[in-house]
Parts: sequence; structure tokens; C-alpha cells
Amino acid sequence: MISRFVLAAGLALLMVFSGIGSYVYLGTRQSNLTAAPQEPTAASPSPGAFSLPGTLFMTQSGAIYSLSAGRFHQLTTAAGWTQLAPYPSSNLLAVKRSQLSSDVYVVNRLGRVLRRLTNNTAPSTNYDPSARHWSFYPRLSRNNKTLFMSYDKPKFGFDVPMSIWAVPLGGTIQQGRLWSIAIDYTGGDMQPLPLASGALIYTKYLYGPEGKLVSQIWITNQPEVPYGGNVLAPPAGLGHGRPLTKPEEDCAQPSLSPNGKTIAMICTHETQVSDLTLASFNGSTLGPRRSVITNQLVAQPTWAPDSSGIAYLAPAQLGQGFQLWWLPKNAYAPPAPSPVPTPIPTPGGPVSSPVPTPTPSPAPAAPVIKPVQITTNLGFDATSPMVWIT
Amino acid sequence: MTAIALSVGSGGFAYFLPAVSEAFDATGQVVDVPSPTPTPTGTVGPTPSPTTRTPGSFTVLLLGSDNDTKFIGDHVLTQSMIIVRVNTNTKKVVMMSIPRDLWVPLSTGGTAKIDGAYSYGGPGAAIATVENNFGIHIDDYIWIGLAGLVHVIDAIGGIDVVTSAPVLDDFYPHDIGKGNPYRYLRVAVLAGPQHLDGTHALEYVRSRHNDLQSDFGRSQRQQQVLLALKAKAAEISAADVPGLAAAMKGQIKTSMSLQRIATLLPVAASLDIKKIQQIVLLPPYTHGCGCPQGYVIPVWSLILPLVQTYFP
Repeated sequence: MISRFVLAAGLALLMVFSGIGSYVYLGTRQSNLTAAPQEPTAASPSPGAFSLPGTLFMTQSGAIYSLSAGRFHQLTTAAGWTQLAPYPSSNLLAVKRSQLSSDVYVVNRLGRVLRRLTNNTAPSTNYDPSARHWSFYPRLSRNNKTLFMSYDKPKFGFDVPMSIWAVPLGGTIQQGRLWSIAIDYTGGDMQPLPLASGALIYTKYLYGPEGKLVSQIWITNQPEVPYGGNVLAPPAGLGHGRPLTKPEEDCAQPSLSPNGKTIAMICTHETQVSDLTLASFNGSTLGPRRSVITNQLVAQPTWAPDSSGIAYLAPAQLGQGFQLWWLPKNAYAPPAPSPVPTPIPTPGGPVSSPVPTPTPSPAPAAPVIKPVQITTNLGFDATSPMVWIT
Repeated sequence: MTAIALSVGSGGFAYFLPAVSEAFDATGQVVDVPSPTPTPTGTVGPTPSPTTRTPGSFTVLLLGSDNDTKFIGDHVLTQSMIIVRVNTNTKKVVMMSIPRDLWVPLSTGGTAKIDGAYSYGGPGAAIATVENNFGIHIDDYIWIGLAGLVHVIDAIGGIDVVTSAPVLDDFYPHDIGKGNPYRYLRVAVLAGPQHLDGTHALEYVRSRHNDLQSDFGRSQRQQQVLLALKAKAAEISAADVPGLAAAMKGQIKTSMSLQRIATLLPVAASLDIKKIQQIVLLPPYTHGCGCPQGYVIPVWSLILPLVQTYFP
């Protein structure tokens, strides 16, 4: 016979446990909305990562990471690193961003700083905000002698447009040359892409036909000349660049294929969805556009160095951070179907009857190649270009 | 069994208690909507149709304010005023941003920038001013402070948004948090698809210095962030509510009751973002005054037909 006391104590204990248990259980039912992104080095990329050639560099939360042979390696601490670009000898250009300014550095493939290329800070006693500057999206010229970057000079009080500058490598901004004339109150010009021909492709921000701010990819063969006003887009000719895309396409982040004949870019069409769009490029104009990804928030398309595909960043689920994706070449450039053999009628039938025409069987439909999600639960910096080297 | 059920219930009650407490504090705010004040002589006011309720739809006035230490208590300007009409039958949504500098007769008397209505008379005055000028019946309001927006976005783990252009500002107010609220900060929110935390989302929607369209451009950015918030909110589970409530503490107020919010949540989840109509009252619907005060003159002959079309 169990005493009343033991029964009461047991019941009380059960109530305590069930009360606490329900509280804890509800806590475990929270969605993973607020879960911080995993560190890439703690994550296991999908098997698709093992098939990626060479080494891919990207940034997350201010740190530089590399992905090679299916494994991530952290190269720097989280110290504001972003916006990578290739540099000779397998090194990298990288932007280090602080709260008030940003500078361009040369970093080796192990993450060690080799050289600082800009100095955009100001003494802490200088309270003039305009004394500090931003450098974004650095790129080296094809001859490795000139640093192209987006830089906030000239600026005019509240109007802080970014312009494309070319600075001799190792030189100061005073030795630099203004290459693009930004349109006022737009944010300016970004993402310079120097070409082997000496021309420059970049992204210009401007007011579109409906008055909304849009992005447009431009090309210029020489440093642009001021035309006064700078509120409207520059006039054609007269030493100015010209657009390669239409304002309503709202395209940005141009990336040139290794053979220089195709440009990958993102186009939003003034919406909150960004397509991965390809267009042929003959050195001065773009061919017809082909959107190869249309249902994702695509950012930073980057060509594999062996032209085997395109890597890009996009969330797997909206709001859950940007993951690494891989689009194999077969998805956008399927191999030409093998020629259908023309059947030759066998002679020998009655001469008067017509030779039967055999109906060729239809060619088998090409399999649909889908993009491969390489990572999950990470949070790559989608405003930071990736670098892919062999 | 009854005892165990009760203890399980009490565990759940303890889990949701902070949220329920906060929800009771934030919701069901009593609104005193003043009756229309005669327009002062010499001021040209609009003559909208009388406001009526449209069956099957409801209209909410979203108000966003600076509420840092530069302001006293609840006397804050509304930097953002967005009218949202949801038709529960057709699942159609229309969002219309009202320029904060719009020069209108206020329900509290006199003519001034519309952002002052809340400051002079609280949410009731803001609602009445909108109703009187635009002829749109407002069912409810939701007010959110600067820190509230940051906390809400952080509480849901950030948002994914396509920022349409770089937002660069050398004179961004450094007024969230402690210290001198009159300091400035340099901000640079880059363009393109990206994941924004609360602080950077606020920088994106709040800065207006580097935008030729000033408040109009900002309104477009605010609508982008609202849509991204809506997309993320669809993934919230009931167990997330206490955390969200803690994040919103004192930074959100609404006239909607808890019961009404519970009724509307499934409706909100069923809306298709691609079908949301966004309106910003750019020229020719408004024009500048060419004066130092920088107010925006409404062109009522164009605005009211637009309102009739989208807010019947």
C-alpha cells in the first residue's frame, strides 16, 4: 500500500516535470529563423563541392574563406574583409571595411596581408565625415599595372556618389584618374571590370523611365569627361561611355567568361527577384539575353576558370542567408545533339511504287540540368564578389 | 490526469506569459479620432469623398517614427506613413506611401507637414488627418519606432532584399543607442541582392540624403523592406512569438486587438507578394514648394482619382 505522502510527492514531482517539460518542449519548437549562420569550416558542403575545380574564395561575416577539394578553410579573422578580386601569383585583392571607411589590400592565399593599397582613413580628431572615403570593388587592369576601384570622390555634401577611378598600382589617389562620371544622387558607379582591350565595363546607377533607381551595365573606352549637371545620364559620344543593357532590365554585377565571349550578370527587371542572365559579348556590344536562373535571388555570378560552369550565391529559402550554388555548363550550353542519321531507303522494291520515306524517330529530349546547392546554413556576403582560380 | 494536464498548461502559460503581457501592452490601443476641423480660411484643402468601409477589406495605417532621445515622450514625427489596404476576398493588397513632408490641413487644426499630425495628437490625429485628406477609411494603425524595426528584423534573423541602388550617407543620424543623438555616422549600404540585419535594413530605409527623390525614394525602399518582412514572417512559428514579443518591447503599438491579429495572421500568410500593388506619390501627384521649409505640395486633382481607383 503506497502511502498518501509518497503518492502526493510523486504526483507533485510529475507535475513539476511535465510543467518544465512543456516549457522546454515549446522552446525547442522555435523555427530556426534567428539561428546564426554556421561557420563554413564547421559545415559539410554537398558532394558537388568535390567536383569544383581549383579554389574558390568568398567572404562571410567579414572573414575570407577558401573552398578547395570540397573543404572550406578560414584565411582571415572576421575583421571586415569583403569584395575579393584576383591578383597575380594566386594572391587576392580584398577590401577591409570599418565603420567609417574602407581600404584595399593585397592578401595572399593563406590570408596574410602583403600590402595596403589605399589610405582612406582620417585622424580620429577630424570630425569631418567627408575627410574619409570608401573604396569598393577593386580590380586590376589586365597588365597588372593599374588598380580600378569604385571610390567616393568627388562628393558634394549630402550627395556621395561612387565613381570609377584608376590608380597606378602602389600610387596614391592623387595620382589616380577619374574614369566614370557618376550621376548625382544615385549612389554612382560600381563594379569596374577592365578588359584586355583597355576598355572598361562597369555598373552605373541611374533613374529609370519610371523614376525608380535602376542599374545598367556600361562600357567606356577611355576616361569619361564631365558634362555638367550630372543629374541625367551622360550624352552619347563625346568621350562618354555607353550602356550595354536597358534601364528596365536593371542589370548589375557583370562577370566575363574565361574566353571573354560571354557576360554573366544579374538582372532584376526592377523587381525583388534577380535572374542569372547570360549574353554574348563581342568586345563592344551584348547579344541577346538568356536568363538561365529565374526563380532565385542570384548574386555574384562567377565563372569557373576552366569554363565548366558558373558559381553564384543565392538563398535556399528566402531570408535564410546566401548559399553557394553551382550551375554546370550543360545547364546553359548543352552539347549539340548528335546528328539524326538520314535513313537511306533500300532499293529492290517495285519500280512503279514510290520509295517509302522512313519517319525518323524524334531526338531524345535533353535532360534538364539543375543548379547544385553546395552549402546549407551558411551566410555568405552577397555584395562581395568571389574569386575562382585554378 | 487533470493535474498533469494543468501542469502542462501552466508550463505553456509560463512560456507564453511574457509574450501575452507584451501583446496586451502593445495591442488594442484606444484611438481617439478627432472629428474633422474646418480648414482655415485661405488654405486650399482637398475635397475627398466621404470615407466608407469596403466590404471584405480592411485598411491599416503603418506609422514609423524617430523615437530617440531627441524627442520627448510620444511627441514624435512620423518619418514613414504607409496606407495598406488588404482585400481578404480577392487577396489583393495595395500599399501607398504618403510623403512625410506633404503639406495638408491637420486634424488638430492648421496646415502643416503631415508628419506632425502624430506629434500633435497621437495616432488618432494621424488617422483623422489621413482620412480627412485622402477620403480613405482607416480601420487600424500600427506604429513602430526606429529601434523597434531593428529589433524586429534581428528577431526574425534578418531579411533578404534586393537593394535597388547604393545608399551612401556621410550625415546619417547616429541616434540609436546611447550617447549624443546629434552625432553623424557614415553609412554605405551596397546595391543588389543581400541579407540585411536590422541595423543595415534601418540604414537602407531611413537614409534620404543621397537620393534625388529624397523621401519618395525612401518610401520605395521602405516598401521593399516591408515585403521582405512579410516573406520572412510567413516562416514564424507560434513558439517564436515570445522572442519576438521581447524584441518589440515598447517599440510597437497598434489599435488591433489580439483576437483581430489572430484572425488576420492566416490572411497575411496567404497573400502573394507578387500581386501587391505599390504606390508612391511621386510627381506629378506632388511637387516641391521651392521654399526653405521643403514641404511637398499635393496635387489633389490627381491624387483623389488615384485613391478612388486603388482604395475604392
